[in-house]
Amino acid sequence: MIEFRNVSASYDGELPVLRDVSLTIPDGDFVAFAGTNGAGKSTTMRLINGLLKPTSGEVLLDGVPTTALRTSEVARKVGFLFQNPDRQICQPTVREELLFGFTAVGEGGPDAEACVDAMIEAFGFDADAEPFLLNRGTRQLLALASIIVREPDVVVLDEPTTGLDYRECAKVMEAVGRLNAAGATVVMVCHDMEVVGDYARRVIAMTAGTVVDDGPTFKVLRRPETLRRAHLLPPQVTEVSMLLGADPALAGTAVARADTLDEMAAAVAALASEAARAAARERAALGACAPMGGE
Amino acid sequence: MAGFLEYVPGESLLHRMNPVAKLACALILSVACFCTGNLVFLLGVVVLDLALAASCSMTRQALGLARAVAAFSAVLALIALLTTPEGAVLAPLPWGYVGTGSVLAAVRIIVRLVACAVPLFLVMYVTQMNDLANALVKMAHVPYRYAFTFTSTVHFIPVFMNDMAGIMEAQTARGVEFDGSFAKRLRLMAPLCVPLLVSSVRKTNSAAIAAEVRGFNLRTAASGYKTYPMAARDWAALAACVLVLAAAIALSALGM
Ligand SMILES: Nc1ncnc2c1ncn2[C@@H]1O[C@H](COP(=O)(O)OP(=O)(O)O)[C@@H](O)[C@H]1O
Ligand SMILES: [Mg+2]
Repeated sequence: MIEFRNVSASYDGELPVLRDVSLTIPDGDFVAFAGTNGAGKSTTMRLINGLLKPTSGEVLLDGVPTTALRTSEVARKVGFLFQNPDRQICQPTVREELLFGFTAVGEGGPDAEACVDAMIEAFGFDADAEPFLLNRGTRQLLALASIIVREPDVVVLDEPTTGLDYRECAKVMEAVGRLNAAGATVVMVCHDMEVVGDYARRVIAMTAGTVVDDGPTFKVLRRPETLRRAHLLPPQVTEVSMLLGADPALAGTAVARADTLDEMAAAVAALASEAARAAARERAALGACAPMGGE
Repeated sequence: MAGFLEYVPGESLLHRMNPVAKLACALILSVACFCTGNLVFLLGVVVLDLALAASCSMTRQALGLARAVAAFSAVLALIALLTTPEGAVLAPLPWGYVGTGSVLAAVRIIVRLVACAVPLFLVMYVTQMNDLANALVKMAHVPYRYAFTFTSTVHFIPVFMNDMAGIMEAQTARGVEFDGSFAKRLRLMAPLCVPLLVSSVRKTNSAAIAAEVRGFNLRTAASGYKTYPMAARDWAALAACVLVLAAAIALSALGM
């Protein structure tokens, strides 16, 4: 469990970058942080793994304040993927890069090698390839793999999909989704609300170092006040649903609630068959009236 | 937040001086420091450096620089201390001795390096790199490609430092501990040179391409719009620095 208690943070000791933030992330949650650039999302991520210590308040990992932990101790529990994979990759081959996560914390050995081999198999990496010669998406995937190969309890991802094409993005997010399904807590910063809508169960919207909203993904992404203050655009389906739902004459309540393509398709289909039934009823009524009109 | 060697905007006299005059003054002061070993003179230059830094509210940066240069030159000073057997014997060594003269030589190295380095670095803080490059091209007729090479190298120093900090942060997050003995730190940091090198080469390569496509080759001394006239204060500053240099030469000629 991750707990922020009235946390304020600053880089230079003067200008506060985070102001009085309180939140709790239970084990197994999948949380996305959203908000404009400079809102303090990356700073929040740094606080979670103790790279940055709060200037006031407390950040607790399983009840222990990060100020009482060494960063290497936190590293065993919390895997951290930085936005730029090139800052993380430092080994000459893919295999060594994956192993480095273990050796860095002194856990190398046959078990580690077995985990690495399984990971290479699962992601389809070329074990002997030079990491810096891989393309951007594969490097990102490698950086992610070398974090999750140690199966940390918590993974923190700072903009894991920025700069990736659709297929690469889906690959990264599927790996993250599997990890979460296996029980890991996932905390990510993401600008792509389609990705957030597809994967996150909870959204925390930030602006200027404060949390403006926190709740289930589609509750947050449907509050006009939140969207305006954090400058967010909801996923397209949600947006369409909100537009249609805003005018009761336009749509049924099912459409107004739809947040996924399937829900929207089902709602539209229901609406269409409802319309067809209404038309049939009308025709039947007209047919019944016709003889009277003919008199 | 301004970083290492990054321009800090301001309106002080030093800020407004001609870029080339500033650089020339700094160079003359540095040369003066190597013309004499007179400790009083060198300390005087350090005081002058700090006064100059204070005049453009750069005292904090100047002190930081002085400390860094002093730490760096401490190694040289130590060598001098152990290998210059001069003056009254203070401590015998298997190959000679440490004397009062050895201590003086060590102190002289530190003070001299601080005195000559601070003005050069100060120039970077009070001059915009573009101005320095353009003025060098216009006034000193330095070919633009050399001026550009120089300024972009200086410009990239904070960028590289920022990269290195980011890389170390990323490794720290993976559990690497960068504390402990110097040897251990060195061993841990050595592999990080690979990502640093990769990001540097990527950056310089794209900077070169960007310069090329924007007509870098076509640029001449006449291309700059801004002119850099020498004002009376620039001549006065140059004259003052030449006087300091003359004093240094006189001191060494008199054997003081
Ligand atoms: N290393 C740093 N030193 C000083 N200020 C920083 C540093 N990193 C970020 N900041 C500042 O902190 C604020 C929040 O940054 P950040 O947490 O990176 O925002 P986000 O990730 O939401 O875009 C910004 O105003 C930024 O300028
Ligand atoms: Mg960020």
